[in-house]
Amino acid sequence: MSVFYDRFERHDHAEGLKGQSTHYCPGCGHGLVHKYIADAIEELGVQDRTIAISPVGCSVFLYYYLDVGNSQAAHGRAPAVALGHKLANPESIVLSYQGDGDLASIGLAEIMSVAQLGVPITVVFINNAVYGMTGGQMAPTTLMGQKTTTSPYGRTRFTGAPMKVAELMAALDGPVYVERVALFDAKRRVKAAKAIKKGLRLQVESKGFSLIEVLAECPTHLKMTPLEAEKWVKEQMLPVFPLGVKKDAVPDESWPLPPPPSFVPESVTEVIGATGEGAERFCDGFPQTPYGKDIAIKLAGAGGDGAQTAALLLTRAAINEGFDSTHIPSYGPESRGGTSYADVRIAEDEVLSPAAPEPHVLVAFNAPSLAKFGPHVVEGGVVVYDSSVIAEVPPLPSGVRAIPVPLAQIAVDLGKVIVKNVVALGALQEATQLFPKETLLGAIRQALSQKCALIPMNEEAFGWGVKYAATAGEGDS
Amino acid sequence: MSVGKGSKSMPTTVERPKPFLLPQFCKGCGRCIESCAKHCIEPGTEVHPETGLIPVVFDLENCTACGLCMSACPEPYGLAPQPESTFELEDPATLFGPRPIPPEKPETIPDTRVPLGSARPLVVKGTYASAIGALLAGCRHFFGYPITPSTEGAELMAQLLPRLDGAFVQAVSEVATVNMMYGCGGAGLRAMTFTSSPGFSLMLEGISYMVGAEVPGVFVNVMRGGPGLGNIAPEQADIKLACRGLGHGNTHGIVLTPSTPQEMLDLTMLAFDLSFRYRNPVVVLCDGYLGQMTGKVTLPERMVAPGLPDWAVWGDRAHRRNLIVSIQLSEPDLEKHNEYLERKYAEMTANEQRADLFRCDDADVLVVACNTPARMAKGAVETLRGEGIKAGLFRPLTLWPFPVNQIEDLLPGAKRLVVVEASSGGQLEDELRLSLSKAGLAHPPIEHVRHSGGILPQAAEIVERVTASRAMRREKGVPA
Repeated sequence: MSVFYDRFERHDHAEGLKGQSTHYCPGCGHGLVHKYIADAIEELGVQDRTIAISPVGCSVFLYYYLDVGNSQAAHGRAPAVALGHKLANPESIVLSYQGDGDLASIGLAEIMSVAQLGVPITVVFINNAVYGMTGGQMAPTTLMGQKTTTSPYGRTRFTGAPMKVAELMAALDGPVYVERVALFDAKRRVKAAKAIKKGLRLQVESKGFSLIEVLAECPTHLKMTPLEAEKWVKEQMLPVFPLGVKKDAVPDESWPLPPPPSFVPESVTEVIGATGEGAERFCDGFPQTPYGKDIAIKLAGAGGDGAQTAALLLTRAAINEGFDSTHIPSYGPESRGGTSYADVRIAEDEVLSPAAPEPHVLVAFNAPSLAKFGPHVVEGGVVVYDSSVIAEVPPLPSGVRAIPVPLAQIAVDLGKVIVKNVVALGALQEATQLFPKETLLGAIRQALSQKCALIPMNEEAFGWGVKYAATAGEGDS
Repeated sequence: MSVGKGSKSMPTTVERPKPFLLPQFCKGCGRCIESCAKHCIEPGTEVHPETGLIPVVFDLENCTACGLCMSACPEPYGLAPQPESTFELEDPATLFGPRPIPPEKPETIPDTRVPLGSARPLVVKGTYASAIGALLAGCRHFFGYPITPSTEGAELMAQLLPRLDGAFVQAVSEVATVNMMYGCGGAGLRAMTFTSSPGFSLMLEGISYMVGAEVPGVFVNVMRGGPGLGNIAPEQADIKLACRGLGHGNTHGIVLTPSTPQEMLDLTMLAFDLSFRYRNPVVVLCDGYLGQMTGKVTLPERMVAPGLPDWAVWGDRAHRRNLIVSIQLSEPDLEKHNEYLERKYAEMTANEQRADLFRCDDADVLVVACNTPARMAKGAVETLRGEGIKAGLFRPLTLWPFPVNQIEDLLPGAKRLVVVEASSGGQLEDELRLSLSKAGLAHPPIEHVRHSGGILPQAAEIVERVTASRAMRREKGVPA
């Protein structure tokens, strides 16, 4: 009994007799289950480690009574709260106490998913076939024909059939132990106490998730005397909710408790990729282009063209050189089905607007992209397009240089079509002289540092891009 | 006589004590009557003067001390084993065996700030920067549900947390997510999530519980277009939810608004700090653009190795008496609690207003914007300055509390305020107007540039709005 508080200070400030009596109605099953839980915690010697999650329902005030760590959850969410506690401190013994409305109605998603996860948590589920706290409404476990305030003519097929939680839980892979017990006579009470203790013990031994469904009496809302209610559970509930062990698959090995989290700075910097030397710089100053101190580049194609990766490489290269740069996958009001656009800004000090609605440089991987964005390239800008898939170039603003490079064809010839974006970067480099060549090559090598074998092919792809753009440029002029 | 292990549950016949009833704790349910094979217990006939209930009556002559009546009694202090010696009717608790030693009062283990050592700057997108900020702030517990355009943050956490022995949970829903955060935060640890507008709506119930129960936690809401399913493009239309509708009841929480990947990191770190300082959830509001935007991010000099607050429900002896709860059944208790929360909100309002001012000192036209639109606004301000128009950008870093203290000094010089935002109804403008009104501040006319549906206001539009309006005023002979 020592797991109960000496005085229930939280029960109306323990006024009058409330300091040592519960708020439950005479004959209610909750008090019995509280006692069995308290006994089990005491016998297992885990009072200090236990955290009880109070639900919403009559047992919302479980924390009045149990002298353990207490947390009170939103309606139906006790298993989620329990999981949060268990993962925060895997040494804690977490008990989720829930009624039938809480667990089997509003909280179905939480109990199913947390049970399936199988983390060692003990759930005690009180099934009394009726909503208690709100005043006798139909519960998911209400019996067929049973009258409640929301099934005043008796539960019918239109209001569903009673939900058999223990059987449902037993069908999941996660739980290791599921049993349904009752409180209506001495023999059943002994079994109930034993099952609750077993559920908690399995958590102490870190074996896994367990759920004990308790058929309990709610004399008040059954409008019966406590003894009539016991009889009703025995005669009416039992045939629908047969007692017994529904699942007992306790594994030999324990659930592996996770080690405490690491707060070692070296591990953190390594994990987030902040170790190693900063990239080498090759620029003497901000690129001398006709585009000023805030350059806008758009790369547009279909998903898989590698526009985003190429854009990211540009951004990385610019930042490596000490400039400010941003990349965003561009969202227009148009559907994104299959298209992939990337906006890059490179500024000497600070990128203001990260979008590139009127780019200085456009890389177009397909005809629709060229048609869509080509007309918006600023005067004096550059367009690099894939001449292996684009046959006709739409009219472009005056002074815009269009540079055809067979991006896809070159990549296919190299044996990997996905490097066409690197070919594009080479062409862009040659056409704009944005950075020294080494800047972009450095960014490419940096990005492939975990896949070094791919570096030569990418360097070659880049080289072909440079070469073609140079030739195309000659042809143009 | 030896008392073996486990004797408490199964005492030998000789030792069994007979039951003893404290009638004031008997509700007369009669479960014990049915449990007694020797018919020692009968329903009572007299109403107990203190309880108004009718306790059962014992006649222990035939009692074999089987104990079944005691295990049939639902009341913790109802039926007790009879003490061996004589006793006085004192505290009933003493009749029920030895009491556990009450736990010592827990002490807060403070956080430590550990030097990060040499770390090079990163080139990462906004959601990544925020996730990394969380790791540097000592967060090792992530709970979330995938939703575009916030998911990359969760994906990075799924990748990195296991390598730091942290926990990543993909919950069954946003509803489950916020309640897992409630549990983890209630245990005193740093929990976070990434979500986007529809998911944020689902989390609001749980956030209200967190506010009520004073549970910290950080919510990064990468806002997308709404209402309903809307689209996955950037919007700022959850400002009203974060600032005025943080779940049901008397709630508020600090709302931070970054504009760059760097600020995504910095403000996420700050969010954890504020969340624990005030024991209250904190919202980092950003837009879909910023979440996806890659930029340069410099790491701080120090990272946080979190301690454990004294209020945590941790699951050990020291913290055993702690309680995380938001139910307050008695009206005066709840009012008192709400008044306490209001004092806390007042403290946040007094201490946590933050804003970034760009060329505001002599500004005639004050552009007000946050998140990505603030970048467009900054570009517009530069352009306007180039045209000789004295424009400045007032960029709130906290939307709740709105940085009214910072804007107050700028108001006398300003001839116009132009609010730039990605919400059709002007939610940022509402925050501005409400704050000015509450502070009793006179202000110049407020104009706006708004877009929604995933379209962001562009710099050119802001410039046009400002200049067109000036032209219009000149035409009307109103001084600009």
